[in-house]
Amino acid sequence: MARKLEESTGHKNEGMESGGCGFMMRSEIAHDEHPLSLGKTSVWNQFFQDTEIIEQIDRDVKRTHPDMHFFCGDTSLAKSNQEALRHILIIFAKLNPGIRYVQGMNEVLAPLFYVFRNDPDQNNAAYAEADAFFCFVELLSGFRDNFCQKLDNSVVGIRSTIAKLSELLKKHDGELWRHLEITTKVNPQFYAFRWITLLLTQEFNFADSLHIWDTLLSDPEGPQETLLRVCCAMLILVRRRLLAGDFTSNLKLLQNYPSTNISHLLYVANKLHGASAG
Amino acid sequence: MAAYRADEEYDYLFKVVLIGDAGVGKTNLLSRFARDEFSFETKSTIGVEFATRTIHVDGKLIKAQIWDTAGQDRYRAITSAYYRGSVGALVVFDLSRRVTFENTARWLQELRSHTDPNIVVMLVGNKADLRHIRAVSVEEAQAFARKEKAFFTETSALESINVADAFTGVLTQIYHVVGRKVLAIGDDPSALPIGQTINIDMKDDRQAANKAGCC
Repeated sequence: MARKLEESTGHKNEGMESGGCGFMMRSEIAHDEHPLSLGKTSVWNQFFQDTEIIEQIDRDVKRTHPDMHFFCGDTSLAKSNQEALRHILIIFAKLNPGIRYVQGMNEVLAPLFYVFRNDPDQNNAAYAEADAFFCFVELLSGFRDNFCQKLDNSVVGIRSTIAKLSELLKKHDGELWRHLEITTKVNPQFYAFRWITLLLTQEFNFADSLHIWDTLLSDPEGPQETLLRVCCAMLILVRRRLLAGDFTSNLKLLQNYPSTNISHLLYVANKLHGASAG
Repeated sequence: MAAYRADEEYDYLFKVVLIGDAGVGKTNLLSRFARDEFSFETKSTIGVEFATRTIHVDGKLIKAQIWDTAGQDRYRAITSAYYRGSVGALVVFDLSRRVTFENTARWLQELRSHTDPNIVVMLVGNKADLRHIRAVSVEEAQAFARKEKAFFTETSALESINVADAFTGVLTQIYHVVGRKVLAIGDDPSALPIGQTINIDMKDDRQAANKAGCC
């Protein structure tokens, strides 16, 4: 920060020093560089914005998988892992000024970092931070539109993705779709927003999430279509309870999805892939 | 007043939203009220979370449908849909982080642009257990609440201080506003109750609530 200011005002100072005055010169500070400047281009404005983002990242990194020793606690392992998450999220926010940091990105990053850091080959594990960063950027290149508020109402934003899930359910299980959305008025946004934005990391335990991610990330067509099929399969697997439920019980069920046999879930999701419109 | 009954019968169903900046403790307020639980490491709320609790007011069973919303800016556009049909709101700030209090003005503005102007609003200074690093005085928050025609209380979800009172205060107030009128339960349960016009004599009620408040 100080260096940047020095660089930008450097030439002015030089000019003044050559004036040969014996006193220490007060350097001229351009309006935009004043700490109290409200200008959007002010370096200080940028500094304050960064501080706000970093504070938010710090708060969320501390509450990433609080139940796992790998991420939380007083051990040096947990502390260095938190540092790595923090670095990655800050750099991502700086490189993507249109999105910056959105709450929940920590949850998408955590499985990637966990897998790289636990590589049995120590030489690979040493580069976990860099590898996780690279993959995080790659993964979000397909999903970051979901994090972008400006795109909420566009064809690539989160609302349109949720609408695709609704269409998928309607196609494969019209009765369930009708009961959920028409009869009990459960707007898919109320549950699927988190399912999709966080790629199902919050709905199952960590090991199960990794299991699902193996399938999501290995699909040559990319993860999004598979993700929607898995979400649709989740609804179909609890269809009997949903069909018997009202608004409250259905929403509670879908916001606290019961633990389930992941292999079976993925099997059902995969079958939707082959099935033609019914 | 707040006797709990688990069954699904109720006389009134009120939708209440919890709003405020990220990290002020909305989720813990709700889990304290709905399940008497507190967690030091609550994950950030993405989208919306939902809980219900039924309480007893004047011999009537009131079922509260409480919507806990994400605090971060990015999620506001999405969460605005959740305001629909709400008749009460708890606007929460962290009394140890001043900026979260200052932002309540924006939250109130947003709330009012999406709901009936007569919605029952309570300003809640949470984390009262952090009194040694308090950054907002009771007087200041009270004055602001008065200006905004809102009730005010301070809570600690951690120490379980005033949490139930904050929720039941809002629910009781809504009930009094509704009076003896039977609330028609509309056909959109996420937008309840539809078309309910609320007229409150805010002044008297607010004084009563302040007297009943913690501080």
